[in-house]
Amino acid sequence: MELLPQALIDGILLGGIYITIAVAFSLTYGVMHVIDFAVGEWIMFGAFAGYYLNKLTGLDPFILLPAVFLIFALVGYLVQPVIHRVMSGNRGNPLLMGLVFTFALALMFQGVALTVFGFYTNSIPSTFSEGSILIEKLGLSMTIPTIRLAGLCYALGITAMLHYLLKKTTFGLGVRALAQHKDAAGLMGVNGKRTGAYVYAIYVGISAMTGVLIGCIFSVSAQMGAQYTIFAFFVVVLAGMGYLAGVPWAALLLGMVQSIFLIYFDPGHTLLAVFAILYTILLISPKGLFGRGV
Amino acid sequence: MKGLNFRWAILLLAILLALPTFVHDTFVLRVITEGIMWIGLAVAFDVIAGYTGYLNFGHGAFFGLGAYTVAILMMRGNWPFALALPAGGVVAAIAAFIAGLPTLRLKGPYFAIATWALARAIQQLALMMDITGGPDGMRLPALLNPQFFYYLMFGVVAVTFTLLWYLLERAPFGLKLKAIREDDLGAKALGLNPTKLKMQSFVLSSIPTGILGGIYAYWITFIDPASTLGDMISDQALVMVVFGGMGTLLGPVIGAIVIFSFKTLFWAYLSDYQVLYLIILGALIALSVVFMPNGLWGTYLGKRATRRKEKESTGEYIDLRVAQKEGE
Amino acid sequence: MKSRIRTALAVIASTLLATAAYAEEARNFFKVGVVTELSGDLATGGNVTKRGYDLWAQEVNAKGGIDIKGKKYQVKLFYADAQSNPAAGASAAERLITQEKVDFILGPYSSGVTLAVAPITEKYKIPMITGSAESPLIWTNKFYYTFGTVPPVNFTGAAPIKTLSEMKPAPKTAVILGTNDTFSKATAEAFKAAAEAAKIKILKFNIVPAGQDLTPLLSAVRGMKPDLIAFGGHDEELIKLVKALRQINYTPKALLMHYGVTEPAFIQSLGKDAEQVLGASVWTAAVQTKGKILWPNAASYAVAAEKAFKTPADYTQAGSSAAGIAFQAALQKIGATPGMSEDQRKKLVKALEEIDVETFYGKIKFATSGQYYHANVGMTPLTIQIQNGKVVAVGPVKNQEAKPQYPMKEWKNR
Repeated sequence: MELLPQALIDGILLGGIYITIAVAFSLTYGVMHVIDFAVGEWIMFGAFAGYYLNKLTGLDPFILLPAVFLIFALVGYLVQPVIHRVMSGNRGNPLLMGLVFTFALALMFQGVALTVFGFYTNSIPSTFSEGSILIEKLGLSMTIPTIRLAGLCYALGITAMLHYLLKKTTFGLGVRALAQHKDAAGLMGVNGKRTGAYVYAIYVGISAMTGVLIGCIFSVSAQMGAQYTIFAFFVVVLAGMGYLAGVPWAALLLGMVQSIFLIYFDPGHTLLAVFAILYTILLISPKGLFGRGV
Repeated sequence: MKGLNFRWAILLLAILLALPTFVHDTFVLRVITEGIMWIGLAVAFDVIAGYTGYLNFGHGAFFGLGAYTVAILMMRGNWPFALALPAGGVVAAIAAFIAGLPTLRLKGPYFAIATWALARAIQQLALMMDITGGPDGMRLPALLNPQFFYYLMFGVVAVTFTLLWYLLERAPFGLKLKAIREDDLGAKALGLNPTKLKMQSFVLSSIPTGILGGIYAYWITFIDPASTLGDMISDQALVMVVFGGMGTLLGPVIGAIVIFSFKTLFWAYLSDYQVLYLIILGALIALSVVFMPNGLWGTYLGKRATRRKEKESTGEYIDLRVAQKEGE
Repeated sequence: MKSRIRTALAVIASTLLATAAYAEEARNFFKVGVVTELSGDLATGGNVTKRGYDLWAQEVNAKGGIDIKGKKYQVKLFYADAQSNPAAGASAAERLITQEKVDFILGPYSSGVTLAVAPITEKYKIPMITGSAESPLIWTNKFYYTFGTVPPVNFTGAAPIKTLSEMKPAPKTAVILGTNDTFSKATAEAFKAAAEAAKIKILKFNIVPAGQDLTPLLSAVRGMKPDLIAFGGHDEELIKLVKALRQINYTPKALLMHYGVTEPAFIQSLGKDAEQVLGASVWTAAVQTKGKILWPNAASYAVAAEKAFKTPADYTQAGSSAAGIAFQAALQKIGATPGMSEDQRKKLVKALEEIDVETFYGKIKFATSGQYYHANVGMTPLTIQIQNGKVVAVGPVKNQEAKPQYPMKEWKNR
């Protein structure tokens, strides 16, 4: 029992990382109905951007986050029209086409990364990554790594900002309208094409920032993308696709399951347990934990 | 037109049957055998992805299940290959049934992700269990007879293709599937049972995949979770099907031939530029999705249809109505 | 459309014919096939073996070639990419053997691909030496034509545990973890066996899936306060593990990994946190060896490698170069010339079995029976440690370059 508080804390902190991976991804699905297979690759590119910017400027990666966001938001803004083209017009199965297209993007990105960055693993140094907070009370001992705490704060910050953007601004109103009914929103004067481009830009920017964070906590390598794509998919499906409010809960659940399984059960079966839970939830409630997916 | 196609098919069949008698180079035969395997995998993948409209990222799992079933039965159970191979198909079919129960009720994107998760789970299982050899994989006795594997692979793929041609292009089954793909509710209104049909299509797609996996295991003599249960099989099949043309029977064949030849030539003669392979492959798919969403064969069919429509303006409509009748 | 397909087929056919014709010319050089992972997940390691094989070929050719009865024969390497996939590896081997008609083969980086390639080399009776694959499984299969210069992990893994057990006070408790892949699992199991033999109490032994965040698990480990944490894994996982330990701020008395710590990326990305981490290896640039063929000692090899590739050589690269040397020595012994007959290749295997040669890499001697069948058992496994950003040998005592630093310095005092 003495490990339980630690297990819960670790689960929450891990969940924080999953929130940052999945939250913007879910938003994009909600608005554009695209499942972006390249989400892990955006994270990877962001991580490398953080790595090289840190080397170049010597600044702490957390200070570099806005710069990374701006660079990648621009990239996302430029890429979106192509995805829009793939998924609209006279096409048999737009959703499938979007999936295949972003899958092709992921392949290309991986190839580019391997060519440019090589195969070696790197890591981004941050002042936060050195310390941890030790709590020893009532015979319990808990550690909270500062970097992960910073990550959780970042995750909550991003979620709050997205929430504000969606609920309190005219832009957000347009986004929500689009997510509800594309054609009707168009009739009401929402420019679907441009709003989609903004949403995709925000998503790519956030994913890249998340990459920097992951580079600080874990590592940076050209082949790191795929594993984060899996987690993004997981959280989003668990939350219900496109249902933004479900993301934090789904992410925390995923983090918690992993943490508790690692500590109390056979660590070898952790991923298996995660897959089994996803399967069961889909079996019982095909639209995610809250039944609110689209 | 139909007669011509038939004559071509007989000619092709004859050439392929006689192939090992004039191709003595074992490496060339190996490459052709693998190419045929990919044709089979792509065609089977298209049943659920193209005809039914459900992107199955767990296709590779059926392949791996077939491979592992054959390996386990042969190595741990001392079964002969001839008995183990059909068992590979059966296990894949059972897995498809179990996997399909919850996932086929889901809409497209959920299905894609759920099947992917399932494939990963099966890979994790193979990594954890003792009977599969864990990460070390399994070694099978080496039967180094290239002709045997060529004929076996060719036979299985030819039978699969013919069967699917009959079911999807001649029997009402194919039209029913397409009806679900285009309009689930509408199909229901016509008295079709979408869930049952989707399940049939899913299982139909899994059986040849499992059998091909079983042949692969005995042919390559070594299987492990990374190579047989990874994403590679599903990814390649998807690429081939999209490039050739989804929802057509010949599209995946053409896609498989083009992509596999490209891959093999690149591998054999340009291995110094291997890192570029991913970029080129990715670009190829991306461009084909943007400019040729129906794939090579689909685009060709579309063009031909337009040409014919210009000649006899009602042709297309008559076709459809006749087909609808067959469907009931 | 059809004519285009026909043209494409014609091109394919003519290229195939052209290569076939090329293979049949008479030649005065050895054709050496190399099957290794130049792309895919294992490309990092595959390229290390490539560097090793390349350096061997360069050096041989710079010296005029392999001296067979007074006449010198150059070597030419023919690469085929195994794409980190057993099936592609088997195709690659078959292509090299039937199309290029290579005399012998330098083998893959990974054990999985080696296991798929070995039956092909058996079929065509072509000898193969892998400079890297080290899973115990390869050798228990007893392939007649397959050899390896790197000793199996269960042979090397015991050395660092032994060094640690000689420390005062020796570690009493250990937590042993490993990633779930062939190499890492075998490493973890080797550590476990050695620790049990050294009477170190094992508090926890787990094989975990790759790509899993280990922090929660390590938080639990922290409560057990083990003296030793031993971990089997590849470089990315090693880096993640050290960072996780750093983040939860637990410093064991000793942190032990395998050869991954010798990879430049490990030291580069961890900096001072890489200090004092222990590892196992059979070769470092400073190991005392006396080579009779090509390089006189490890240091001269390291200099040559640095000059050629601008990266420090590790033991996989050295083992790969040594694989070439083993062939060279065996060829000289039987006086075989390029374009060997099946009979000569059989003789070559016999010669390889009898080889007992000192090289820059250490002694090469292949076992001819038992669980290490055709693996190199001539070497002394070393305990290595990162000290001041360099890999140094700290055990066994007679191979020591520096004293082992033990216990480890606390993370926060670095």
